[in-house]
Amino acid sequence: MTESPPMLRLEKVEVVYKKVITAIQGVSLDVQQGQIVVFLGTNGAGKTTTLRAISGFIGTDDAWVTEGRILFEGQDIANWPPQKVANRGIALVPEREKIFETLTVMDNLEASVGAGASRATRKRMIDTVFDHFPRLATAKTRLAGYLSGGERQMLAIGSALLCEPRLLLVDEMSMGLAPRLVEELLDHIVTLKKTLGLTILLVEQSAHLALGIADYGYVIENGRIVLDGTRERLGGHKDVQEFYLGQGGGDARKSYREVKQYRRSRRWYG
Amino acid sequence: MQVLANLVVLTAIYALISCGYVLIYRVSRVLNLAHGELMMLGAYLLFTLASLFKGGPELAFAGAVGLSLLVGFVLYVVLMRKMTGELVIAAVLVTIALGILLRGLMVLIWTARDLHPISVLGWKNPPVPLGGGTSISSVALATILVAVVLYLALMLFFRYTRWGLQMRAVGERPLLAAQRGIKLHAVYALAWALSTFSGGLAGMLLALDSGLGSTMVIVGLKAFPAALVGGLDSLLGAVVGSFIVAAAEILAIHFIDPLISDVVPFVVLIAMLLVRPWGLFGTKEEIERV
Ligand SMILES: Nc1ncnc2c1ncn2[C@@H]1O[C@H](COP(=O)(O)OP(=O)(O)O)[C@@H](O)[C@H]1O
Ligand SMILES: [Mg+2]
Repeated sequence: MTESPPMLRLEKVEVVYKKVITAIQGVSLDVQQGQIVVFLGTNGAGKTTTLRAISGFIGTDDAWVTEGRILFEGQDIANWPPQKVANRGIALVPEREKIFETLTVMDNLEASVGAGASRATRKRMIDTVFDHFPRLATAKTRLAGYLSGGERQMLAIGSALLCEPRLLLVDEMSMGLAPRLVEELLDHIVTLKKTLGLTILLVEQSAHLALGIADYGYVIENGRIVLDGTRERLGGHKDVQEFYLGQGGGDARKSYREVKQYRRSRRWYG
Repeated sequence: MQVLANLVVLTAIYALISCGYVLIYRVSRVLNLAHGELMMLGAYLLFTLASLFKGGPELAFAGAVGLSLLVGFVLYVVLMRKMTGELVIAAVLVTIALGILLRGLMVLIWTARDLHPISVLGWKNPPVPLGGGTSISSVALATILVAVVLYLALMLFFRYTRWGLQMRAVGERPLLAAQRGIKLHAVYALAWALSTFSGGLAGMLLALDSGLGSTMVIVGLKAFPAALVGGLDSLLGAVVGSFIVAAAEILAIHFIDPLISDVVPFVVLIAMLLVRPWGLFGTKEEIERV
């Protein structure tokens, strides 16, 4: 299969925490320009670590990309500091600690607009966010710490957009939110992709909703990619049906690993 | 009445010094225990520049203030920057070592003699009558004014400027701030520069009023309880804390014994730590337990 060079390519990436804990190993994945790619995996599989490896660690994380390359538009950005990655065109909506709770909604947005933007530009950019998320406009002067879960997520996405990214990384958006709300947010993601021409890498635990909007998907287990394919292929895959779409029936509590050991030859990438 | 005037002056002095602790703590959770020495360094810089520019005392003063700002910036860039990512306690230990080093250097350069920059500058310090037989020195009056202006300026700065907003953001969540493209090191360097600026200013005013000697470090240390009583991450808290510590100190001087004046702030500090470890205005969650 031949493809145009991807916008983002991870090549056998390994991340080590505190110099001893290897969280992901040999992770390779491609994100094509203009696609929504979903990244599936259970708790502790290494999804957040992968996104953080792309968006950059700071000293207190005590984490490093120890192997492999992270190519964004052809340039290796592995171990760049987060502010440099953000300015390069990649924004992250983190899993937790995604907004400044002691700041108002407006200040959260103001703080995220790149340096050097004039007052008029900042206002225009923030108004665009309000167009997408009118609920934020009505909560402008409220402290972000008092927002509801859904509003926090909107604020986090809105703030990330103000970094003017070409690639948006979104970590477990659905966590702790009602399914209705998740659907609404996923609709927003699709709209953003279309109107802003964004490319999106979306991390989720459940394939249920995410796979519906994705062009392509990867499954990570224990720090390694175990499966990948188009939405159709993943959605039709027995393992995914059983463990990420909850359609297995019967003994659904079996671990994914048990199944994959008898059903599929191991497919390590790297 | 005189007691009240003294209380206001002492509050202003502590407030001027303690905001330096607050600025750095607020953005980086680091306690800069070299603040007293840095304040003294500001005063020595004033003395030296005053000797150099005999003709222009204003120039010497402005130069010393500018250099104080620069000192904080340089300290962050060459020393404290290396500490990012290390434990907060390690950074605090570095500031203690820095303080000891600075004290030694200052004795080497300027000797341990008491100096009087005001006479070198050729300025006078006449008492200003406040009515009812009360008076304070001109420099003390200037100290009050400077403290008021500085606090107002800082509050406006935090509230209305982009740099101030970035400092608040970094103070709450440095990682998220970095992920939003904010340059962490620039923000930290600015906090250090503002801190040594305000501390240096305090040291200079103190030295103009009562001379320059090793006791100044004690004054700097006494402002630390003032900052902590207020909660360390709040400017308003620093003012209130400064007032409480100054009041306790002045009451002790009047009703107990002037000799214990240097101890009182630390008694207040211990009392505070026992009752409300996060201070009057501090954020409760953010205390890192030991
Ligand atoms: N800061 C950290 N220090 C040490 N180990 C970590 C840290 N963060 C994550 N890990 C480990 O890395 C692995 C992957 O975690 P994570 O990327 O958060 O998974 P996911 O997001 O898929 O739930 C887990 O085993 C976790 O314990
Ligand atoms: Mg995660």
